[in-house]
Amino acid sequence: MRDRDLREGGSRPSGFSRRSFLKGASVAAVGTGLATEALADAAPTDGLIREDGVTTVPKGALEITLRVNGEDVAVTVEPRTTLLDALRDRAGLTGTKKVCDRGACGACTLLLDGKPANSCLTLAWDAVGREITTIEGLADGENLHPVQQAFVECDALQCGFCTPGMVMSSVACLQKHATPTPEQIRHELSGNICRCGTYGRVFEAVANAAKNGGGR
Amino acid sequence: MSFRRPPRDEHTMKVGFVGRGGSPGVSRQVTVDVPAGDLTPWDLDTKFKTVGGRTDRLDAVAKVTGRAKYAEDMRPAGMLYGVLVRATIPDGRLEGLDLDAVRGMPGVRAAIPLKDLGNRVRWVGDPVAAIAADTLDQAYDALARVKAEYTEGDAPIDFRDHENAPALRDGVVDEPWPSQDAAKIEQALADCERTAEGTWICEVQTHSSLEPHGLVAHFQEDDSLEVWASTQAVFGVQSGLARAMGLQPAKVRVHAEFVGGGFGSKFGPDAEGVAAARLSKETGRPVRVLLSRFEEHTCAGNRPSAIMRIRAGVDADGKITAWDYQSWGGPGYAGRGGGTRGVPQWTHAAVTRNSQSDLATATDAGRSMRAPGWPQGNFATEGMLEALASEAGMDSLAFRLLNDPDPLRQMEWRIGAERFGWADRVNPTPGKPREGDAPRILRGAGLAAAFWGQMGRPGNGATCRIHQDGTVEARSGAQDIGTGMKTLMAMLTAEELGIEVAAVKVTMGDSNDPVGPGSGGSTTTPSLAPTVRHAAGLAARQLCERVADALGVAPEKVTYRDGGIDADGKRLSFREACRHVGPNPIEATGQRQRNYEGYAEHICGCQFAEVEVDTHTGVVRVTKMLAVQDCGLVLNEKLAESQVIGAMIQGLSYALHEQRVMDREVGRMLNGDFLHYKVAGPADMPELEAIMQPVANGMNNVGAAGLGEAPAVAAPAAIANAVANALGVPVRHLPITPDKVLAALAKRR
Repeated sequence: MRDRDLREGGSRPSGFSRRSFLKGASVAAVGTGLATEALADAAPTDGLIREDGVTTVPKGALEITLRVNGEDVAVTVEPRTTLLDALRDRAGLTGTKKVCDRGACGACTLLLDGKPANSCLTLAWDAVGREITTIEGLADGENLHPVQQAFVECDALQCGFCTPGMVMSSVACLQKHATPTPEQIRHELSGNICRCGTYGRVFEAVANAAKNGGGR
Repeated sequence: MSFRRPPRDEHTMKVGFVGRGGSPGVSRQVTVDVPAGDLTPWDLDTKFKTVGGRTDRLDAVAKVTGRAKYAEDMRPAGMLYGVLVRATIPDGRLEGLDLDAVRGMPGVRAAIPLKDLGNRVRWVGDPVAAIAADTLDQAYDALARVKAEYTEGDAPIDFRDHENAPALRDGVVDEPWPSQDAAKIEQALADCERTAEGTWICEVQTHSSLEPHGLVAHFQEDDSLEVWASTQAVFGVQSGLARAMGLQPAKVRVHAEFVGGGFGSKFGPDAEGVAAARLSKETGRPVRVLLSRFEEHTCAGNRPSAIMRIRAGVDADGKITAWDYQSWGGPGYAGRGGGTRGVPQWTHAAVTRNSQSDLATATDAGRSMRAPGWPQGNFATEGMLEALASEAGMDSLAFRLLNDPDPLRQMEWRIGAERFGWADRVNPTPGKPREGDAPRILRGAGLAAAFWGQMGRPGNGATCRIHQDGTVEARSGAQDIGTGMKTLMAMLTAEELGIEVAAVKVTMGDSNDPVGPGSGGSTTTPSLAPTVRHAAGLAARQLCERVADALGVAPEKVTYRDGGIDADGKRLSFREACRHVGPNPIEATGQRQRNYEGYAEHICGCQFAEVEVDTHTGVVRVTKMLAVQDCGLVLNEKLAESQVIGAMIQGLSYALHEQRVMDREVGRMLNGDFLHYKVAGPADMPELEAIMQPVANGMNNVGAAGLGEAPAVAAPAAIANAVANALGVPVRHLPITPDKVLAALAKRR
């Protein structure tokens, strides 16, 4: 399901979503063109080069602006940089966790235009112009989101490393199903792995959060 | 200098447990020798305000908001990204290494060899060199350019290919039993009314902690080293790095405030930690080396594989009287640590023989993993118990009750069986569908015993500070790896002082604080809990002294009681008393005294599992699991349940899914990621319940035992037994994947 979200890509100028492909594309794109020269030709918001109806990605590092938790964040990334690495290594937002780096564990889950996405499978460039919500943007100051509150009360965490991703998937679950059935909870969380074994508590937390308006 | 025997107090305390569910409790008065200066021990009659309750996890808010900073999250200014160049052959010698080509690459700041030419290479992944660069991508670019050459040896990859491996025929060991000490065991077996024999096999499981191994190292100009590590042993990392870098331990400061999982493999700096420190020294910049997921699966230890065979017998009453156990472990290149164990209670009355040998392979070395050797051994042991029960014509539960000498587990079997509905869930006609089920579905139930020691040790401290504003600090240098130790420290301090948990701020995971244990073998809680309580008690005494001083009252007329102070007829609340503390807080360091000669020396527990098998696909689903688990005094019921349920889930994962798959020629792991190395996920979850059984164990002033291992011992065995009950034939090879189920069914027909 998350793959489909990534593939559909909406109105974004580029549809690629796999690093290996983009890595190759960037090499083939503008050859030895310096990043600064490329910048001059690039659209101001995304740094992409549009010439003769062809969109290409300049080689080397470029600054892009991401919209994260309602704020513009400028980060310098390479075309191959994932959204996950851009947030963690460039923007200092380390709440989103890197675990498998292959879209298999859900630890890096965040919301992209309100839908859950694996940020390790999303290129930073592809997130330009989209609303990114990370775990840091969920609570309203010291007021926890109902899902976060339910996680605390149900002890739906142990080491806590899967927790940000688990919370984000749970929020997405409740946005899709305001009062989810146990089967729906399992299904919506089935992309998230926890090694300490907190799943049972997580299911309980999602159900409790639903009762407390977590799906609003 | 002479040593005087320290003065001691004799103290009489009530130990045991309260009966429940119609089963009798056991309690008695024991007189223990309490070390001088210790506190009055808590016992079966103690009434608690906080301890035993369901306090929320103290650091849960930090974890659900993403504010918790793990080693993986540390980004000190100027930090470089380090990666390890790793051997691409399983066995041989390093004959050539060219790092010059990478040194001029964009962003590369350092490239250092970790092996000399001619050094042995022991597995695919053995560290050869290390590179630091400005970004992780640049470091990986450089990694791809390193040229290394090797001569290759021919050590085996799979322990079944080792020259000393037992011959297997259809999954059963096909060779004579050892001749050593044979006479007695042969006689005992000959004297049995009925006997059974079998072979059990386990594959390699990787720890798969979600936060990888490694650390961020910052070598400072004054030759000191500060690191942020993902570790189960703050002080193990400190001493390990000091040794590796030729520094005084005091020059190495280790932080581990949050740790993203530890299941037995994170006790030292390991190659990645030393590489980070060396790269930092070389570049003068902070350097992080945290492993990739593939490295996690292939270079950070694992639960070794095992082949086990047992022959055993019962007398005419169904009592086990002979037990012959032989096992072979596959612990990788280290060649040791592959031993397996079963719960010893079953064989206490039997003539027994045990033999074990390890078979070295050219693969990553095994490390301790949650009850090392026990889930494997208990899978075999409990499988044999099923075979013997069947031989004796007895129900599985009845057979356990007949042979289990432990009164605590006797009660736990009964509580669990009742709650689980054992009599209704066990399949009376194994291999046949239950009434009302589709013909292709087979259901069954199984059970297994849990077991572990109470291994808390002296040799650590904890600090308690009381401030004039009435807040309290509890500090230990040890780490909370997700068990909830911070929460327990706050609860113990609050209980001893009679104050609210919220008033206690806990700090863990800093080597500048008092020494604490490494978190292994379920020792953190039993080692630290009495120490933390002791610190709080000593701080309370100091508070009394300061109040006496301030009020001009004789010290003997000031006593601490129920969260406040009685001072010569005047009552002060804790906060009122704290006003007399002054600007310098009270600080007391508690000591972990030796254990008393207590009532219980091991912890028990048992688990029940129900499974559903689709005979068309071979897929096993666990539908229900229940644990009854003791751990001495239960400090926080909610967190204890969480840990038990977590062990059940990890056990389910081991029983049904987890398996390292190796290329037996090139020695590379074929499923070294979370796409192909399957860890149980949300869709695999059964209905789960944990019932905690409190016990006053008389071991020390608190009497809490650790909880990491015991429940992990039982779960895989209970599930395997449930599968056997469903199929009518056991699958004696973990993980119980669909292919093995279908093969077992085919053989049955």
